[in-house]
Amino acid sequence: MKQPWLRYLLLLCAQVLLWNFFNFSQFLMIAYLPALVLCLSLRRSSARDMILAFAFGFFCDFFCGAPLGLSSFALVAVAALRRPVIMLVMGSEVFSRGEDVSPYRQGWNKIAVTTIILTLIFLIIYVCIDSAGTRAFWVDLVKVGASLLLSTPISLYIIELLSHKQESKWK
Amino acid sequence: MISAAIFIVLEIAALAMLSRSSSKQNIWLNQLSGSVNAFLWGGGEKIRSHFMLQDQNDELVRINAELQARLQAYENAEEAAQEQAATQSLVGDSRFKYTSATIIKMSRNTAHNYIIINKGWEDGIKEQSGIISDNGVVGIITAVGRHQAYGITMMNNKLRISTKVGREGIDAPLMWDGISPDGAIVDDIPPHYEVAVGDTVRTSGYSSLFPAGIALGTTVESRLVDGSKKQIKVTLFQNFKTLHYVTVVENLEREEIMALEEQGGYQ
Repeated sequence: MKQPWLRYLLLLCAQVLLWNFFNFSQFLMIAYLPALVLCLSLRRSSARDMILAFAFGFFCDFFCGAPLGLSSFALVAVAALRRPVIMLVMGSEVFSRGEDVSPYRQGWNKIAVTTIILTLIFLIIYVCIDSAGTRAFWVDLVKVGASLLLSTPISLYIIELLSHKQESKWK
Repeated sequence: MISAAIFIVLEIAALAMLSRSSSKQNIWLNQLSGSVNAFLWGGGEKIRSHFMLQDQNDELVRINAELQARLQAYENAEEAAQEQAATQSLVGDSRFKYTSATIIKMSRNTAHNYIIINKGWEDGIKEQSGIISDNGVVGIITAVGRHQAYGITMMNNKLRISTKVGREGIDAPLMWDGISPDGAIVDDIPPHYEVAVGDTVRTSGYSSLFPAGIALGTTVESRLVDGSKKQIKVTLFQNFKTLHYVTVVENLEREEIMALEEQGGYQ
């Protein structure tokens, strides 16, 4: 699939299906939306990233029946922190070379660390706001931990799907 | 900068949507908003209070001074009442004018002890007035200021008081023994008079300074001096250590007496 927007749309639909029909436990949620945000092009402005993240979150909330704005709020924060986290983990060379995020260029380790950090940020915000102080702290903690464990490998797989081996070769 | 603005706008939009779409999140956001407001307002109030401490201190100092003045007024009123009560027990002779007073200062450790009281000529105090208390004579006013008067006390070897001793009423001068605060000597008693131990010594009234009959003390012992006169040791009733309120007695006929003495050639 050459059209990236179509891939994103399909993945968003998959996320909606996942949240609607695969609720295994209240202690678990599979979220790879941060991975979608991570894979957005680094050559565009961060304002665009945040607007897209807001739209992704709105799409999911709307079709999942979740409180509108919940995913958007968490995902906009992820989009805002994406570049600082990438710079922290991968260094500023990614930006100076004008690369996109790809495991074939930056390596799986760095991609995994970046994914874990961004997913953790998303889950913490999402779970805390979703809880709204009505659940015990340990329940939220378990939910964040379990969701992170399950979401990270899925997110890495999504990242691989969104990356192209041919296009990601060294220039 | 634009990114930050967009971030804020988007987050606010998300929160607004969240608040409208879910009552649970709405309540939580309201609580959060209340907490943030309380923190901000509380912090502001603390800062404002900190910078207002100087004003508050000034106000407290002013209130403190006002309260001290009011307290002083109450204390003065109480003191005046106590002075008045002390005087009431002494008033008897209509020829004398009685003025209550409080001791400001009194020396007890020298041979020439003095007393300063809180009444002066504005209060009607005159020189050569007597100072007495419930327990006898205290001293004599020797100098008068506007608000204070100065006098010598019984514990001053310059002071001699005309007294009557014993049942026979022997007239003799009494003076301080120069040793103890409550010790005095009655001198110049003719040797043929018998004075019993425990006899009361009273003012004679001859000096025009004190009314007659004020009990001063009791006799302790007598001895013959130079074979020609008796000297009697007296223990005074007056306790100079605890003395605080006194009464000034002024003989209203003193000037007339002095004028008569002058006419008669007595100086």
